Formats: sequence, structure tokens, C-alpha cells
Amino acid sequence: MTQALELAARRTLPDEGAVTRHDGAVFDLRRRRDLAAAEVPDWEALRERAAALKTHTLDHLDTYLERFEARATEAGAVVHWAEDAADLRRIATELLRAHKVERVAKSKSMLTEECGLNAHLESQGIHVVDTDLGERIVQLQGEPPSHIIVPAIHRSRAEIGALFHERMGTPRGETDPEKLTRAARRDLRSRFLSAQAGITGVNFAVAETGSIVVCTNEGNADLGMSIPRLHVACMGLEKLVPRMEDLPVFLRLLARSATGQPITAYTSVVTGPREGAELHIIVVDNGRSALLADPGHRSALGCIRCGACLNTCPVYRRAGGHAYEGPIPGPIGAVLAPALHPAGAALPHASSLCGSCTAVCPVRIDLHDQLLAWRRELPRPRGEALLGWLAALVLRSPSLYRLAGRLGRLSWPILGVRFPGNPAASWLRGRKLPRHPGASFASRWARRGQGTGP
Amino acid sequence: MTARDDILARVAAAATHRASHPGGHTPATLETGFDRFASRLRGVGGEAHGPVPAWSAGEAASRVVALRADGGSIFAAESAADLLGPGPWVVPPAELAPIAFEDVAVALMLGTVAVAENAAVALLGREAPQRAMPFLCRHLILLVPANSIVPDQHAAQAALPADAFAHHHLTWISGPSKTADIEQTLVYGAHGPLTLDVIAYGEVA
Repeated sequence: MTQALELAARRTLPDEGAVTRHDGAVFDLRRRRDLAAAEVPDWEALRERAAALKTHTLDHLDTYLERFEARATEAGAVVHWAEDAADLRRIATELLRAHKVERVAKSKSMLTEECGLNAHLESQGIHVVDTDLGERIVQLQGEPPSHIIVPAIHRSRAEIGALFHERMGTPRGETDPEKLTRAARRDLRSRFLSAQAGITGVNFAVAETGSIVVCTNEGNADLGMSIPRLHVACMGLEKLVPRMEDLPVFLRLLARSATGQPITAYTSVVTGPREGAELHIIVVDNGRSALLADPGHRSALGCIRCGACLNTCPVYRRAGGHAYEGPIPGPIGAVLAPALHPAGAALPHASSLCGSCTAVCPVRIDLHDQLLAWRRELPRPRGEALLGWLAALVLRSPSLYRLAGRLGRLSWPILGVRFPGNPAASWLRGRKLPRHPGASFASRWARRGQGTGP
Repeated sequence: MTARDDILARVAAAATHRASHPGGHTPATLETGFDRFASRLRGVGGEAHGPVPAWSAGEAASRVVALRADGGSIFAAESAADLLGPGPWVVPPAELAPIAFEDVAVALMLGTVAVAENAAVALLGREAPQRAMPFLCRHLILLVPANSIVPDQHAAQAALPADAFAHHHLTWISGPSKTADIEQTLVYGAHGPLTLDVIAYGEVA
């Protein structure tokens, strides 16, 4: 684990109890995913098909983007193009201003997190309410989501109860999830009814019909799309599928991989605006076309943001999402970060390379190979080159190796004690040194037999 | 050059035009029929009723309405009311603003296709001219033809009528609104309906 990641993890999950709760909650999602996948006899064939569809779509993305734009426009939507995060923020702000919007009901969109849309709109005097319950919790808490499907998974019911007491007036000490959810429903209902625009993300976009597909369990995106007269949908340019017939492949994989549900409670396919309303679709690049041009890393653009790789990752489970720099945590976040954010270059090192992420990815992204590839391409962390050179020197020479072993055994008891300047300090922050056997393997072997070997 | 042209030029330069479309997926044979659909719907928090003959759909719907009604309006979309005949429901005026549905206790609407593998029911735009109603009501009742139950999502997609995407929206609804955002405790009725009932009517396939 990198040091920055380790320190950030400590802020979100401050003690062993919080770590254990987070680990358990996240792994439960992984367990549900396994059960759901096992119920589909053609699961592996589906993953194969999804991967092939994504490869085909990315290979022909120019054709499909133009087709999508043409069909969506024919259906009455207005398609906008954003080069980067600033462009998305500008276009969204202009649209909302032109419609004199002061209050927005927003549903979950990792893209708008990536582009910092909420903070920008607030700075322009436009009030944004996140309507997904988990997103609302982190919004009230003033922190980013820590999971792409379950944004407040790092928070306990006691913390959420205290937050709702302060911000929504629930009784002090109320921690029952059902009562807290009802309180949020009442509070958000009035905000939906007074919203002048709805902002949603896009799970899939169908080139053949110019439709966007939005999946939620709460129904919040549908309320945002059906009450106000303005719907602004923000989509990354990689979200396309060629035909409506291709959509079921992804719908069958998405929710099962995310939470173990057979499909999300609501899957809305929206083609053009509803009568008397406007639909604006903002297609965002923000580094994606550069990733597409990189044959070694373009496969990451196939991600359907299910979160399965987070739920299975031993580092994510114990570190929590805030430990990762950038909007998307976990293995896929670590793979996307170096391409999309300069600060993310350290993340590919925060992995044990166990490959569990690759094993569960519904579109078969080679996640652990990607992490390894980034490690080769990116500058190594400070000190790693020197350490590697030293190790090579010692491992090449039996006498130096024996000497290093002897020094190690001598200094072992001291290294286990916390003192300023201890070179093992960062290791000791999260762990204890294991007990040392006291003698080297070679010397114990020599004592056991006569050194003749097996 | 506009942002659009710049982006499309970069994407065109990066797109290799190599891999061909893999074609449609042929799913494994799955269990189908009303019982499978009903057990799946229970699994996602909803309840299935029937199958009942088409002529008694109104009676069946009245019974379910009586179970759910908790004060407030009982609205049936026009196409649902045509099927059901007279009952405790009224058809809301077409020009009603979305916020007028805030106090709807029960909404009745026609589903078009039902999926046994995931308990999803297709609600087409033409059956839901009041787009906000199925999301703002407290209890939603969907009526689907018993012979429209198909085994999987691929078959469901193929069974949609040709104009399925011509009316702004099509929503696959699988169970009531739900969330597990607070310590993974499942709670029904996050924003939308607290309950979902599906009544299958007519001849079984």
C-alpha cells in the first residue's frame, strides 16, 4: 500500500472495528454476486459476449457516436460535446441558467463526481440535491462517495443517525435504517417536487435508437426525469452499445455483478424528451479519447461501473474508497487514475495483484494485468530503484546474503519497537512484526540433517 | 473546429475498426412461466397474483387495491381502466401536472412483457402518459397478460412491440423501490412505491 493511500485510509476507517465492518459489508456484496452469477448457466458466455461487444464498440466508437448523436437528435434530444471537466461544468451551467434553474434534483453519476459538477453549480448559486440515499448521506456529510454503488458504505448507522438528527431533525439516537430511510424519503420528496431540473448519469447509450439507459433501485433518477421540464444527462463517450438487442447482455450482468440482484428495480430506456420537456445529453471526453488511443490500456474503457472489482479487492475492502485519489476507487479506479488524473500515478502500486478483480469483472477487463502494465510504465515510487539495486546486489552474493541475514536477525527486536527514525515505522503503523524464528533456514537445515539436502 | 469535431476526430484516429460485431447472444434455457415469475418477484419484494381470466381482472385488481389503499387517490392509467372496467379507481385528467401525483395511494397500469428470470415488467411510455405517476405513487399495481411472460431479458427485448421506443420512455420495473444504503439493510420504498403488485390476466401461454 502506498503511504498516501494508507494515511487516507486511516482517516475514513479510523479503527479496527470500522475496518472490520467495512470489510464485512463490502465482501457481503461479493458473496451476493457469486450467488447471482451461479444462477445463470450461461454466465461465462455472457461475460465473453459483453467483452466482445465492448471491444467491437470501442473499435468503431466514431461510427457509433455519430449514429447515436443523429438518432438522439431525430428523437428530439439536444446532444452537447464536452472536451473535459471544465467544459461539462460550463455547458451544464449555461443550460441551467438559460432555463432559470435554481434547484436541481440529481441522481448518481460517477462522471459528474469526476468532473466536480456539484461544487461548481453550488458556486454559481444553483442548489443541487443528491437524491440517491447514499449520495445524499455523503453530500450532507460533506465528503465524496467511497463506493461507486454504495456511496456511504464506510458510514455506520450510528453516524448516519447522528447526521440525520442534525440535518433532518430525526429523533436523537434514532439509528433504525428503515426510519432513517423514511425520513430521507420525506425530505427528498419535497425537493423533487420543487426541482426545476433533473441531472442524471447514463449507464448505457444505444447508438441504434439514440436512447439513454439509466438504472437505479430507488427510482430517484426516474423522479428527476419525470417531474421537472429539463433533463440533463451526462455520459462518458464510452457508454455506447451498438443495438437495442445488445442491451440485455449488459442488463443481465450489471446488477448481478453489483449487488447480486437479477436486475435493478428500475431500468429506464429514454428516447428523446417527454412531451413539453427538454432532454439535453452531454457527451464527455475528459481523457477518454486519449485512453482509446492507447492500445495497452483502452480495455479499461469497457467498464460498466458495477463495483464488483471493489467488492472483491482485499486492498479496497480494508482501505475504503477515500484512500484512493480520484473519483473511482478500487482496482478499476487504480487502472483509470493514471490515465485520467496526474495524482493517480501511485495507485497501481496499491494492489497485491491477486487477480480477484479480473476474475469477477463482468466485461472481462484484464485489471491486474493493467495494474502491472502501469507499474512498468509509470515512474517508480521514490526509493524503489535504490532498494531494487541493493536487493539485486545482496541476492547475487551468498556471503552478502548471509551477512544481511545476520544483521537482520540482530536488528529484528529493535525494529519491532516504535521509535523516531525506525525504518520499519510505516509497516508498524498497521501491523506488528511477526516473531522471528531466531536462526536462518540454512543453519536450521544444517543442524537437522547433515546439510546434504533432500 | 468545434469540441464535437475535435473529439470525433480523435476518436476516429484511435478507433481501429477491427473487431466485428459478435452477433446476438443465445441464452441457456431457463425456467419460465407464472410460478417462476412469481417466486422471482417475491425475491425482489413484490407480489404476483393470478393468473386470472381477463374478464375478472377488474375484480382481482379491486381486491389488491383494497389491500393497499391507505388514503389518497386511486388512479388507473386510461389503458388499464379500459381493461378493468368500473372500480374504485379514476382515470387522472391528461393535463394534470406531475406534482399532482404526490398524494396517489395506488396507481394501476398495464405492463407489456414480464421476465421470469428477473421479475421485470416492461412499462411502455404509451401505457404511462403520466410519467411521474408510477414513481410518485405509494403502491403500484401492474397488469400483464399471462402469455407475455418470457424466460429471460433477451426474449423480453425481442417481445417488445415495434413502437416500444417511440414514446419517450420504457421502464423495466422489478419489485418496489428499494435501498440498502444504510449498513446494507434492505428497505423498500426509498423514493418510489413502497409495494409492487403484478396481476397476470388472460390465457396462459
